[in-house]
Amino acid sequence: MQKLDKQFIKKVRRQDRLATRAITCGGLLVIASVIAILVLIVRVTLPLFQPASAEIIHRVSVGPGHAPVLAVGMDDTQEVGFTLDSTGLFSFYNLASGKAFFSAPASAKKAKVQSVESNKNNVFAILWEDNSVTVSQVDFRLLYDEFGQRTVQPEITRMGEYPARRYPAPVKSMMVRNHEGRLTQVALLANNRFQIDHEVITTDIFDNQKKETFSFLIAEELPGRISAFTLDEKGATLFAGTDTGSLLRWDLRENAAATRTDNVVAVPGDKPVTALAMVFGDISVAVGDAEGGLATWSQVWTGEGEGRAQRLRKTHTLASHQTSVESIIPTRRSKSLISLGFDGKAHFDHMTSEKHLLSLDPPLDMVGISGQGNSLIGLDGNNLTVWKIDAPHPEISLKTLFGKVWYESYDKPEYVWQSSSASDDFEPKLSLVPLLFGTLKGTLYAMVFAVPLAIFGAVYTSQFSPPTFKKTIKPVVEIMASIPSVVIGFLIALWLAPIVEKAILTVILSVLFLPLIFVGIMAALRPFYKTPTLQNFCNGHEFLMLAPVILLATALAMGIAPTVEQLLFAGNFKQWLYNDLGLRYDQRNCIIIAFGLGIAVIPIIFSITEDAISNIPPSLTAASLALGASRWQTIWRVVLPSASPGIFAAIMIGFGRAVGETMIVLMATGNTPILDWSIFNGMRTLSANIAVEIPEAPMGGTLYRVLFLCASMLFALTFLVNTGAELVRERLRKKYGRY
Amino acid sequence: MTKKFWRQGEPFVWATGLALSLILFLTLLLFYVVMANGLAVFWPKKVALATMSDGQHLLGEIVQEETIPGTANKRIQFKIGNRDLYGLDFKWVDTNSIVSLSFPENVQVLERQEYGNFYGYLSELEVKGISPPASGSNSLAQTIAALDSRKKEVDLLGKKIANLNRRVELIDHHLAKARYNKEEGTPALAALQGEKQGLKTEFEALVSILGKKAATLATNQAIFTDANGRTKAIALPNIIRAYQPNAMSFFAKCGYYLERLRELFFDEPRESNTEGGLFPAIFGTVMLIFLMSILSFPLGVLAGIYLREYAKDGWLVKMVRIAVNNLAGIPSIVYGIFGLGFFVYGIGGGIDQLFFPERLPTPTFGTGGILWTSLTLGLLTVPVVIVATEEALGSIPPGIREGSQALAATKLQTLTRILLPMASPGILTGFILAMARAAGEVAPLMITGVVKLAPALPLDGVFPYLHLDRKFMHLGFHIYDIGFQSPNVEAAKPMVYVTTLLLILIVLAMTSTAIHLRNKMRQRHSVVDV
Repeated sequence: MQKLDKQFIKKVRRQDRLATRAITCGGLLVIASVIAILVLIVRVTLPLFQPASAEIIHRVSVGPGHAPVLAVGMDDTQEVGFTLDSTGLFSFYNLASGKAFFSAPASAKKAKVQSVESNKNNVFAILWEDNSVTVSQVDFRLLYDEFGQRTVQPEITRMGEYPARRYPAPVKSMMVRNHEGRLTQVALLANNRFQIDHEVITTDIFDNQKKETFSFLIAEELPGRISAFTLDEKGATLFAGTDTGSLLRWDLRENAAATRTDNVVAVPGDKPVTALAMVFGDISVAVGDAEGGLATWSQVWTGEGEGRAQRLRKTHTLASHQTSVESIIPTRRSKSLISLGFDGKAHFDHMTSEKHLLSLDPPLDMVGISGQGNSLIGLDGNNLTVWKIDAPHPEISLKTLFGKVWYESYDKPEYVWQSSSASDDFEPKLSLVPLLFGTLKGTLYAMVFAVPLAIFGAVYTSQFSPPTFKKTIKPVVEIMASIPSVVIGFLIALWLAPIVEKAILTVILSVLFLPLIFVGIMAALRPFYKTPTLQNFCNGHEFLMLAPVILLATALAMGIAPTVEQLLFAGNFKQWLYNDLGLRYDQRNCIIIAFGLGIAVIPIIFSITEDAISNIPPSLTAASLALGASRWQTIWRVVLPSASPGIFAAIMIGFGRAVGETMIVLMATGNTPILDWSIFNGMRTLSANIAVEIPEAPMGGTLYRVLFLCASMLFALTFLVNTGAELVRERLRKKYGRY
Repeated sequence: MTKKFWRQGEPFVWATGLALSLILFLTLLLFYVVMANGLAVFWPKKVALATMSDGQHLLGEIVQEETIPGTANKRIQFKIGNRDLYGLDFKWVDTNSIVSLSFPENVQVLERQEYGNFYGYLSELEVKGISPPASGSNSLAQTIAALDSRKKEVDLLGKKIANLNRRVELIDHHLAKARYNKEEGTPALAALQGEKQGLKTEFEALVSILGKKAATLATNQAIFTDANGRTKAIALPNIIRAYQPNAMSFFAKCGYYLERLRELFFDEPRESNTEGGLFPAIFGTVMLIFLMSILSFPLGVLAGIYLREYAKDGWLVKMVRIAVNNLAGIPSIVYGIFGLGFFVYGIGGGIDQLFFPERLPTPTFGTGGILWTSLTLGLLTVPVVIVATEEALGSIPPGIREGSQALAATKLQTLTRILLPMASPGILTGFILAMARAAGEVAPLMITGVVKLAPALPLDGVFPYLHLDRKFMHLGFHIYDIGFQSPNVEAAKPMVYVTTLLLILIVLAMTSTAIHLRNKMRQRHSVVDV
């Protein structure tokens, strides 16, 4: 006997060990990748639910002996902060070094400032004690030297100086210029009246500029003393709050007069309104009161018919302060608000989500915010403190994702998905409910269509058809499973949908006629079914014999449909649907989807059901038949119960496929995110939503993460369904002892 | 007896039969629609001349005829073409307003570079530089054929210019890299700059030659009249094909059909993808499947072998099985978004940071591309391969393994010499099924790198030849894109049907091969299996 070379054996063994390791690694890699997919998708969504955080990055002393500070602010790079004091002097501080490096007066005059109001970021309307007004804007210019070093250079632009007016001493003044160039100044006078001044510059066809001024007093009786007021950026609406808790609204669009459009009680119990501010977008107004309550109000259509009008309604209630709200500062990038309480606590809240993002503790006298809203500057005593705020997704909370939210310009809280719009101040509406609803609706209609067909077809194929047929039918169905979904989507959307739209009544009638004709034929067959000729002829060929029934039903429906439409539906079924039932007919609707998704899942359900039924030991069937049961009784009482776990698994897997199917629904649903069970209109599903929106979602943004959330929900849904199905199948395999 | 008929459930048996025939009916209907619409697209249709009751004429292909809803009248839809003259390609005409329909033999159909088809009569040819052809019915086609060589010259020039452009781009990248690394002033850099200058002068010279040649070519034109006598001059280089469908014999039509098929497979698309060929889409699809296979097959087979031959039966194997089944059940769009987040932004972004920092913020790998798409699809098809491998190995009787090991073969030897060869048809089936799935999948591609129109193929003659970062075109996406995103869906429909037919044929061919292989394998093993 020849001995094997030791070296060779060693080599073989080494290779074997190596292979074992490599192959094991490969196997484990698969599990790892499933977990990795899940982890990654979930990780991307997690920041959505992270609480906001603030971190003190600078603390600067403004030094004692400084005139009282009236306003603070800062730049976007978090390098420069500034104060505006009661002498009208802007002082700029390098936040890193704490040095004041630049200061400039807002105006050349030597007067004291009476009040400062700001309705835009870093634009200040300064009311001097002599009743004149200066509007100044603080800008920051970024300069780069030759080494790429950045310096921030502050600039003060004087936008306007307005001489003192004759009327009694104003207490506060606000000023805005709208897009058409109209300058509006609203001054609250000491006698509790508003003085409105418009300055309109018109240019005629010869390019001559004409300046017109309008000046009037709002002299009507007010429910209390005005304790706060604010103006929107267009100068079109004036909001005022009184010390009795009323919120008043005037329309200032006309040049010559103001119309009061609202008077509501915003704070119950005669408590004063202490702060007002327009939320970014100028639709909602934030109201702070003496009790510390903070809420946003916006105009809502109420009433019916003639009495239908826009009224102010409280749409969101935000977290309360312990003490009265002193000031509210809206951010200029989102619907977030900063509010400062009397106790010096600053709150950072988001309107839409009503999420309380942050509380800043050290007692602050005033706060300012950077243009991008990512940092906050506060003054306490003689110290300026700067916080870097990390609140990337303030608009997302479980409530905005899954609950009803009262969005701006909506009549009532609703579930809405509308992720983007052309304007910057748009309020994103990211409710997942319409998408989940659409997913379930589409899947459900598809399953109603597909499950009976697939299971009945599988029962027939495995139990009644002759083996030769079985051999051809199975591959045919498998081939059907491999049809790309984009093909099905295209066919049902561009070929079937227009046909169904034209002949919707025909479709409905043929669905009705098919069982009727079938029952009719059965009744006609009844006397002959025992005759040997029929039995020989039909056994195993029933499905071929029945093929004409389908054509017959369709033909009959086609023939009758116009008459039926004339007689019952006044000649137009779709019109009738709309007028009498209030149902709108969309071309891309659930009938189309049920059909398309049905074609996609029938082969899957069919194959797995067929396998499950075929795996039932023939001895069971034989015993049942031998005891005198008919072939249907055997199927119904013996085969189907035994195979039921397998059939259940088949339905589950089909369900999983339908839930995640993308191309078909993307092409054939119309993709409108509506909440409506009607079979005659479309929907938007989670999967199609991802495909539609992801190209427009910037990486790391809220929409991007919400879409990942959609994906993880789909993942979770299919994971549950598939794992369930797999466990059931495992049990079935064990029970019948086959692979 | 009649009661028995219902009680014994015979009607239910028939009902199950009805369900099966419905399924088969639907399948057949689907295929019929695709076949009937797809196959007929390239067959030249007769062009009808309709004389209307108001004395106007109309020239076009009859597309369909239907009853006007709510009335007994019928109407005919004509494809009238001449988009540049009429604005619309299609027109519905009430049959009552048509006085007569005829099919004049001298109608010319032109396929053009832009504005779709032209239907009309040839009135005059203005040709320079080549001998004017004998005036006859075919003079136009002959002239176009005569101009062909010069047209090709111009095309070649265009290709040269595009190539030059790409080389300049490459040099620009090198220059940007050098600048980024602060290598200003090195001789290598100067050489690059010199090369770029040379290329630029060459480029400009070529462009001016091309401009002149194209201009002289474009002076060759033909004057046509439409059905109502409006004249229209069309430059001959803009005409791709001219034919007279009403005068064509059956064999001429067959020739035309074959020519259109050639165009379909080997030419570039035209008119925002609704005309011309599918070559880039076919190439992209094949390339995608190829790359996907390289990534997914080894991993899938490895995992399958592990599960069947190496893993000890226990909770771990059970977990892996469940994981694999879940992988197979995850919706493809989830794979897509995973690919976007992980491959494109994660790995691709990382590669850009590491290797191409000079090009940022323009992404190189940090945007969709064929590499990321094929990785995503690879992940998507791995379970198919795993299941197939496992099943193929599982159907080999254990006696064979024991026999091999009894003869002192190691596990690896048993695997590579005995088991894998025996299982190969089954594994191959898995490969083919995976490829078929990859060919038909669209949703994940849409977000990881497929585009409507790719400027260049991912494989070409410019270094480094294989451009894995490039975006590409794909048949499935082509269907979605031209069927749903094109401005003129009605005019795009024929092309969508052709693409659909092609895609279905590819997928069906793969699937039926796989099924055939599997059945053969089953037969073989059923002999071994006792």
